[in-house]
Amino acid sequence: MNLIRKRRNGYALLFVASICLAMWFGAAFMLEAVFIFGVIGAISLMLLVRQCRLLYYAILICDNRILAVPSALISTSDCQMKKSTVETIISTFGILIGNEIYRWGLNGVHGVLLHATQIDQKRIYLTFGDAARTIRVELLHGMTKKQEVLDISQKLLYETGITTDIIGW
Amino acid sequence: MNGFKPLNIRLLSIAGFSFLFAYILSFLFEGKVLYSLLDLHGTDVSGFILTAIIAHFAGLLTCGLFVRTQAAAKNMVLGGIGLCLAATVPFFFVPSALWAGGLIIGGYTSGCAVAAWGYFLKAFTHKNGRIKSCADVLIYSNLLMIAVNVVAMNKSPFIGLSLAMLCLVIGMASIWMLPAGQENEQNQTIKKKTHGSIKNPLTLLCLFVFIITINSGLMYQVINPAFEHLTGLVSWYWAVPYIVALAIMRNLPMKAKRSRILYIGMAMIMGAFISFMLLGRKTSDYLIVDTLMLGACGIFDLFWWSILGEMLDFTDNPAQTFGIGLSANVFGVLCGGVLGMVVTSIGLSGAEVAVIALTVVCVTLVLLPPLNNQLVLLLKSHAYLAAYDNMSQSQQKEVVLNVKTINPLTVREQEVLQLILSGKSNREIAVSLCISENTVKTHARNIFSKYDVNSRAELISTLLKNQTGL
Repeated sequence: MNLIRKRRNGYALLFVASICLAMWFGAAFMLEAVFIFGVIGAISLMLLVRQCRLLYYAILICDNRILAVPSALISTSDCQMKKSTVETIISTFGILIGNEIYRWGLNGVHGVLLHATQIDQKRIYLTFGDAARTIRVELLHGMTKKQEVLDISQKLLYETGITTDIIGW
Repeated sequence: MNGFKPLNIRLLSIAGFSFLFAYILSFLFEGKVLYSLLDLHGTDVSGFILTAIIAHFAGLLTCGLFVRTQAAAKNMVLGGIGLCLAATVPFFFVPSALWAGGLIIGGYTSGCAVAAWGYFLKAFTHKNGRIKSCADVLIYSNLLMIAVNVVAMNKSPFIGLSLAMLCLVIGMASIWMLPAGQENEQNQTIKKKTHGSIKNPLTLLCLFVFIITINSGLMYQVINPAFEHLTGLVSWYWAVPYIVALAIMRNLPMKAKRSRILYIGMAMIMGAFISFMLLGRKTSDYLIVDTLMLGACGIFDLFWWSILGEMLDFTDNPAQTFGIGLSANVFGVLCGGVLGMVVTSIGLSGAEVAVIALTVVCVTLVLLPPLNNQLVLLLKSHAYLAAYDNMSQSQQKEVVLNVKTINPLTVREQEVLQLILSGKSNREIAVSLCISENTVKTHARNIFSKYDVNSRAELISTLLKNQTGL
């Protein structure tokens, strides 16, 4: 989330700087420079809006967390990669893996669809995606008591409507 | 109820308001009696008229702050009429500072009295009959205004002023006979079932009213000066098409689609401007232009008055709601008048002025249909919520289950939906579920997506329109 915040601040700075420069060059009637900085300003504004939206969802995910763990193993149909992140957060509205956000939505509309969740003795597995791509995320949950696992699965059902398969408990 | 049947009470309430409103229309609010008196004494008119309108606007807007019961509303109407009477007396004498004082006091107290009548409209007229009551007060007050205007313009302004004061006295007597502190059963039930805030529909209605009346004000400034030479005809015919349109609208069946009538009004108003540009300045031309223009005004006015009347069911302070709605009208007239004055004062030819005015009218009228749709949706959702509240818990659950969703709702979303249907705002839902307001907004958006709707009002309508029998 910090990276998203930093990017947002960077784009905000770039936007303000380009607008100021465009105005300055405008006052000096240097129209080519005004055009260039105007375009930079417009692009940075678009990126700024995008980062603000991402940050909004990241905060929303953090505020409505169900489970938070330090790292994640992500596998798609064509590759597998391990991500050691500061934090991975499963929440009512999506999953935040480092600075990547996957929002739960309606089959590609407003996000991806959460298909299934599984919990075994070491890991929690989430499968989500849309028609084009399915992603499976493995997280070391670190839970040792059965009650904790039951609470998490109950919370997942309550907030996301997905019944969790509990294996080996 | 003082021995009066409900019908008589309704008629008394209509009579009281009609006489008060006739006084306002013929004298205080750009009335012909006031114009005649100012002409007679050769006094500069604009300052006086603007003062009266601003004071009236302030009265309408602030009345709800200190009138909170029906008894207080009655006292306010009676007190307001009494002060108007006193404020009118100086106009029998030569112009002095008392005229300005009279206009300020009269304007303010008449505004308060008009807003306070909202209590009587709510209490003494059944919900389905409010459009008729609104039409009645507008028709009777305009008929009385025509009578006073004709006398003031053709006989003597002082006789006209006396008649305007007589209207106040009769209005006062009618209001005096109304019961003070009783509300009918229907209204008491509704009062207990007030749902959420009516801030959104009222804001939308004010915008709607403002747009409509800005056009009226503009037309008044552009068209009226062109037919100044037809004084005799203007004195009595001016409001006749308005009254006829009101009478037609009043007698339309309840099922008639009012939004379609709104389009007829829009066509008439554009027709009025085009006729004004193409025709001359003869009597027959005036008849055509005025009929189209004032007919459209009648349609628009009754349209928003009736919506305002319906809105009274969802408020605990009818004086405030009624006053705010009418103040939007006065503000629109003010802005339209200023716009008209600016357009006419820059020295353009009549045709150019009409083209500019027509452009403004067309642009503003384009906004009316979407505004109307939103307004109707918001009002419907209020009505549906009232019916939903009367259902048992099992019926309420059935309502939610009966409508299919794209994806099933989660338990949390079902909780949020139940609270939305009980009329709670996002903030109230956040407090009751101990979550943040942004979380509630996101849940609400997800619910909208699952029901394939775009707004809370649309969601409520979709869920409840087939269930409540409304």
